[in-house]
Amino acid sequence: MAVPIDVASGPGGPAPEEALSASDKAIEGRSLSQIAWRRLRKDKVAMTGGVIIVILIVIAIVGPYLVANPNTYHSELIDPTYSRPIGPFGGISLNHPFGVEPITGRDMLARIVVGARYSLLIGFAATALAVVIGAIMGVIAGYFGGWIDSIIARLMDIFLAFPLLVFAIALVGVIPSSAFGLSGSNLRVVLLVFVIGFFAWPYMGRIIRGQTLSLREREFVDAARSLGARGPYVLFRELLPNMVGPILVYATLLIPTNILFEAALDFLGVGIIPPTPSWGYMLSDAVTQGFYSVDPMYMIIPGLAIFITIMAFNLFGDGLRDAFDPRSR
Amino acid sequence: MRRKTGMLAAVGVVITLAAAACSSSSTTTGGGGGNTNTPAFNAGVTGVVNSSTKKGGTVTFDNSSAPDSTDAGGTYYAFNLNFTRLYATPLTTYKSCGGSCGQQVVPALATSLGTATNNNKTWTFHLKSGVKFEDGSPVTSSDVKYAVERTFDRTVLPNGPSYFASLLAGNASTYPGPFKDRAKNLMGLTSVTTPDPTTIVFQLKQPFGDFNYVVAFPQSAPVPPAKDKGTNYQLHPLSTGPYMFQSYQLNKQYTLVPNPQWNPSWDPQVKQLPSKIIVNLNVNANDIDNRLLAGDIQVDQAGSGVQAAARARILSNPTLKSNSDNPVNGFMWFYYINTKVAPLNNVHCRMAVEYAVNKTEMQTAYGGPYGGNIASTAIPPTVIGYSKFDMYNALTKPGGDTAAAKQQLQMCGQPSGFNVNIAYRSDRPREVSSSQALQASLATVGIKATLKGYTAANYYGNFAGVPNYVHSHNLGLLAGGWGPDWPDAYGWGWALFDGGSIVPAGNTNIAELNDPAVNNLFLQLEAATTDSDRVSISEQIDKKVMADAVMLPAVYSKALLYRPPNLTNVYVQTYYGMYDYSALGMK
Repeated sequence: MAVPIDVASGPGGPAPEEALSASDKAIEGRSLSQIAWRRLRKDKVAMTGGVIIVILIVIAIVGPYLVANPNTYHSELIDPTYSRPIGPFGGISLNHPFGVEPITGRDMLARIVVGARYSLLIGFAATALAVVIGAIMGVIAGYFGGWIDSIIARLMDIFLAFPLLVFAIALVGVIPSSAFGLSGSNLRVVLLVFVIGFFAWPYMGRIIRGQTLSLREREFVDAARSLGARGPYVLFRELLPNMVGPILVYATLLIPTNILFEAALDFLGVGIIPPTPSWGYMLSDAVTQGFYSVDPMYMIIPGLAIFITIMAFNLFGDGLRDAFDPRSR
Repeated sequence: MRRKTGMLAAVGVVITLAAAACSSSSTTTGGGGGNTNTPAFNAGVTGVVNSSTKKGGTVTFDNSSAPDSTDAGGTYYAFNLNFTRLYATPLTTYKSCGGSCGQQVVPALATSLGTATNNNKTWTFHLKSGVKFEDGSPVTSSDVKYAVERTFDRTVLPNGPSYFASLLAGNASTYPGPFKDRAKNLMGLTSVTTPDPTTIVFQLKQPFGDFNYVVAFPQSAPVPPAKDKGTNYQLHPLSTGPYMFQSYQLNKQYTLVPNPQWNPSWDPQVKQLPSKIIVNLNVNANDIDNRLLAGDIQVDQAGSGVQAAARARILSNPTLKSNSDNPVNGFMWFYYINTKVAPLNNVHCRMAVEYAVNKTEMQTAYGGPYGGNIASTAIPPTVIGYSKFDMYNALTKPGGDTAAAKQQLQMCGQPSGFNVNIAYRSDRPREVSSSQALQASLATVGIKATLKGYTAANYYGNFAGVPNYVHSHNLGLLAGGWGPDWPDAYGWGWALFDGGSIVPAGNTNIAELNDPAVNNLFLQLEAATTDSDRVSISEQIDKKVMADAVMLPAVYSKALLYRPPNLTNVYVQTYYGMYDYSALGMK
């Protein structure tokens, strides 16, 4: 792929003269991503976020096979008078390190771990959907300009002005319990991915459109065109690969937003269908049933899970942005 | 036709209602059983706490929302049926006492209960003489007729019960109400006649033995046609009771002061003790509890019990606990078992569900032992004709009777279980919890249940109450709750269990039970004349419905109520399931 020359010489990388006079060592050309990776590795805060993300992903993938069944009732661990777990801190014990859920006595560790799978799955899938649509629409709008740009820009405006929360509540209520060959929780997950992802693309689209506007006048694009490359080739082989940085950065920052939105939908009762565990639903339960006062751990634990996840993605995303574009620091 | 309750957080302890009933059998007007001045837990259920005739003081009520209407003609909330007694006097009302005594309907504006002639189709009431509105003008039978007429206009009074429209003969099915029909001096309803100023006669289109209960709704309280302002009449309804409106800031606060015209002989069931009654609306529910426990207010108007935080405070503090009551409040939570959805169309499969369920887990979901007692019958203990029985071992094996359930599955021809869907209201946390508990315990006998959540607002209108939808979506088990419009088996169960009550939308017989034996028992109940007949028929209905296994009883709901120590004459009126608001006074 062609690389615009000036990007390689940001303040974070070695200046050309220094590099020349430093030694006789052969001068290696470094790609944009190599430079970014070097910068990122030095950013301890971002790397901490990254490590947490990796751990979370591992937990989400293998965790559910290691923990107890999240739907097993332990009514013997519940004090029926207050419907809260017996013992301090929400019934934390060796068998139940995160305690148990009020009313049901279901193991909180299992529910948090299985909940992580759904939170991350929806966060990633919805982001992927938004990125794919946003990148394609943005690059088309920016490259072709004119009436195509106008139409796509208005489309973005419409999507941004859409009362998404109301639409999500209505859509989840209207869609039957089985559709598109899916049913139950699987259908709901697909639905949530669609609702969240399909309405998040305009943010992505605008950024990509702006990037495209500045890149399309560059020499490497002119060069490709003068060699006879046509629209699609320029778009997908020349322009998009040069926008991997901003796309990656923005996607990383979009993931926590989507996870939070999923939690909000759970909170409103239109998210994951119980008894499938979900973080947002646990929070909602703690609030609507008033457990925050009699069993605060039931609110604190899923709250911490959401907090840590969002924090990790935001730190990593910020670091990634700085690495790709130090001037925005 | 179901009495609405503001069911937020009902909570409670195991008490025997029978004890309450016995202790209150010797009551005189305006009291429960034993009077007590030493506070004790449930003292307000078994008797009257701080019995007193002292006048004066201000009683303040808080409400986390607002009444559906302060107009007596347009309200259906249990707490407001209770509260309107302070300013509206219906023809009949419920006796001011606890236990089974409080289930009795007694005359209020009428001199005696209505007399039925023409095979229970003609009901005649005579009004007490000398009753006046707060402005001093006399109450006549045409004011009562007008009050009944105006309830026909659902655009002006959308929320009240609609029994008059469905029961009355003549032009009742087409009568638009006096706001639209201005002819005939506003007296256009042909099936209600007023032969003289103290007599009113109701002509029904079919025999109906429970009409005295129907006119116990405050809809029969007189309204003077000249003073009716339609929707705005609720801002200052003309009082015939001990209190009258002083001010009303909509959705914020209303204040009642003693009605100078009122005479205790008009309605011996209500009292005039405080010198002022204030109702604050739209107060945060947890704030209400804090103000109640701090003594800033005296009553939570909704009467459905304190929230989880206050519940923990009250139950863990002996002093607070001794100032609280935990009555069975007349409401019941249960699951309908549909008789048309396969394989539940086989009674043995339905029985398998009845046996398999872990009732303790269900009870915990509905708030634990302070939220309700485990239910084993189709008629709750607050209804006349209740008898305790335990057909499916709900009380003896509350953890579920797996062996019996498996046996029933064999007899049903589904030895390894079957698939079924559970419908519930996803915006009601307790139903979400109970449905998950139901799902978990059904799984232990191989019945694989899938949860289907719906919004409460459309639950009866579009989903559970539409038989076609129920069939096409295989909704075999459907969550429900019910409070009786009046406390007998007819008022409780006709809409739930009679084959004639099945309708294509807004259906309440969601199990779609159409058992000729049950239908016949309801016919007998309509025509029954003696109380002992009515009780024995009610018991038969209860047992037959449970034998048909169309209702999976969960809990008889209970509320944890707090009574500040300075409140007097505090006791739980059985029909309303909360403190009697028309008896309260201040120390």
